[in-house]
Amino acid sequence: MKRLQDVESHEAVDLYFPTMCKVTGAKQITDMEKWYELEMPNGQSLGHSPGQFVEVSAFGIGEAPISVSSSPSKHSSFELCIRQVGMLTNVLKKYKQGDVLGIRGPFGKGYPMEKLFGKDILVVAGGIGLVPLRSLINYVLDNRKDFGRLIILYGAKTPSELLFQEELAEWTSRDDVELHITVDRGDASWKGHVGVITTLIPTLDLQTSTTIAAITGPPVMYKFVVMSLKSKQLPDDQIYLSLERRMKCGVGKCGHCQINGVYCCQDGPVFNYSDIKPLAEAL
Amino acid sequence: MECFSLLRSDVPAFIDHLGGFGEVVAPHSKGEVSYTFEVVKDSSQVILDYNRTLLPLKKMFLPPVETMLNFSLKDASFTPVEIEISPRLFFGVHSYEMQSILRLDHSMLSGKVESNYFRRRQSSRFVGISFHPDEFHFSESVGITIEEMEGFDLFLNEIEGDFQVYVLSKNGAALLKGFEYIESTNPEVIEGRSFKKKIRYHYNRLPRVFQYAYNSPIWAEVASRCVGCGACTLTCPTCFCFDVNDEVTVTAEDGMRQRSWDSCMLAAFAEVAGGENFREKTSNRTRHRLFRKFKYITDEEGLPWCVGCGRCTAFCPAGISLPDIVNELIGEDEKAQLPRSVRV
Repeated sequence: MKRLQDVESHEAVDLYFPTMCKVTGAKQITDMEKWYELEMPNGQSLGHSPGQFVEVSAFGIGEAPISVSSSPSKHSSFELCIRQVGMLTNVLKKYKQGDVLGIRGPFGKGYPMEKLFGKDILVVAGGIGLVPLRSLINYVLDNRKDFGRLIILYGAKTPSELLFQEELAEWTSRDDVELHITVDRGDASWKGHVGVITTLIPTLDLQTSTTIAAITGPPVMYKFVVMSLKSKQLPDDQIYLSLERRMKCGVGKCGHCQINGVYCCQDGPVFNYSDIKPLAEAL
Repeated sequence: MECFSLLRSDVPAFIDHLGGFGEVVAPHSKGEVSYTFEVVKDSSQVILDYNRTLLPLKKMFLPPVETMLNFSLKDASFTPVEIEISPRLFFGVHSYEMQSILRLDHSMLSGKVESNYFRRRQSSRFVGISFHPDEFHFSESVGITIEEMEGFDLFLNEIEGDFQVYVLSKNGAALLKGFEYIESTNPEVIEGRSFKKKIRYHYNRLPRVFQYAYNSPIWAEVASRCVGCGACTLTCPTCFCFDVNDEVTVTAEDGMRQRSWDSCMLAAFAEVAGGENFREKTSNRTRHRLFRKFKYITDEEGLPWCVGCGRCTAFCPAGISLPDIVNELIGEDEKAQLPRSVRV
């Protein structure tokens, strides 16, 4: 048990003060989602790893945990993409270039990149699950020779909800990216695959011994994607999932993000499947 | 260990003497049946015999509402709120309460060290006092005796109406300096104080009971009686969960960011934007509360995160008893372990 006498005075820090960051770019990219580019003061780098999150703060409304969407290889600024789904995020919709946003973090554990080097990376993104995974994807692309295949499965409800369409087009054109997109419901102009994201998995040709899967999506998606990957004989410890919880403080104090005995903001949000498999509240 | 005798009639003078260290906080009566920790203004008003205060001592280290920063909406800037730290002495604290502070220490100081908590804690002294367990106390079942003195600087053990004062730290010895109404004495074992309420198993066995209790029907049964008010967690001395909210002033030009106590028993505690609730049913929340007390942290630290103060039970408007739930789980576990042939 940690005791008072174990703590040195200099260790005591203010955990809850945001760093004010300038919005250097902002664009509504779908009906529901807005993309932001932010700069830390004095040219600092955010210093995150793919999969980590920040607490975004708008004074008068509050804070919310938001995944970082850009690759750590981009140092001068970082990007967020935020769905307008609650009070804070609807206020953030009004933020534009030149405004100032409070940021705390980065927090939590991202992908253990040292374990991913040299591996085939299978990205499974459902809906806004692509936002945090885009950080991983772009990191892999920025260090392309350090990784094997890059396979991206991306599912959205409808074609108009597809995020980062310019990047999707670019990934499609590259011959070192295998991108498979599906929508739950097509429209008149949609010529691509229709069906839930798991329908993309059975036909995949995977080298299970060298593949690492990274899954992010709505809560309902995980069980089914994991099941499909298990039927491809992918071992548990080669599957990573990023879980959403109410990470209010980000520093393991407020209690909101507990998954059974685990704090999502400390041990996650990126978890190895073998670690959370025994947790009844995880999936 | 040094020990002194102190007459009950000299306790107010003793409290006045302790005031030389700093602000003294001690139990007072509130209304007809309640007690509360408050700053001593008149030492004769301090209560020496009480069962439990409504709010635990955590309120002095993690205030129910605390302003963290002030902000301006005009230029999106903020000023940190610096808390004022002055020496405080907590007098008349029961053993389980002290143990709860040691557990809060772990929660607030592990990982990143929380500044406000640390500073308040560092400038505090504790003078304990023995108590007479009522029908709700069950501290002994979680390993805490009436005379458990860990964490205290001084401890007053009642003997035939008067007290024996134990000196437990250098700070404690310093607090006694210059106080004349004490006499050196030999420590005595006090007989006749015992706990009425008990958990049937030693607390070491509880994590194993809980391991098999996750899907017990008992959670739904308890939830059917629970009104979801959160009183159990607010009065729990080891519960520390909080929420953070921004309050804007009427001019809508500025405001403050505040944190306030929250409760995992409230329906929206684990809800995220968009409406997904990761602990939607009351039974999920009841289970989570008890697992937090007897399994999750206990697995890591070897101690129950319940100190047996009895508050959650005494102040539950639905009469839900924590030790009774644990005893029911034990009973269920015993039944499950009987060979099939003798199971009734």
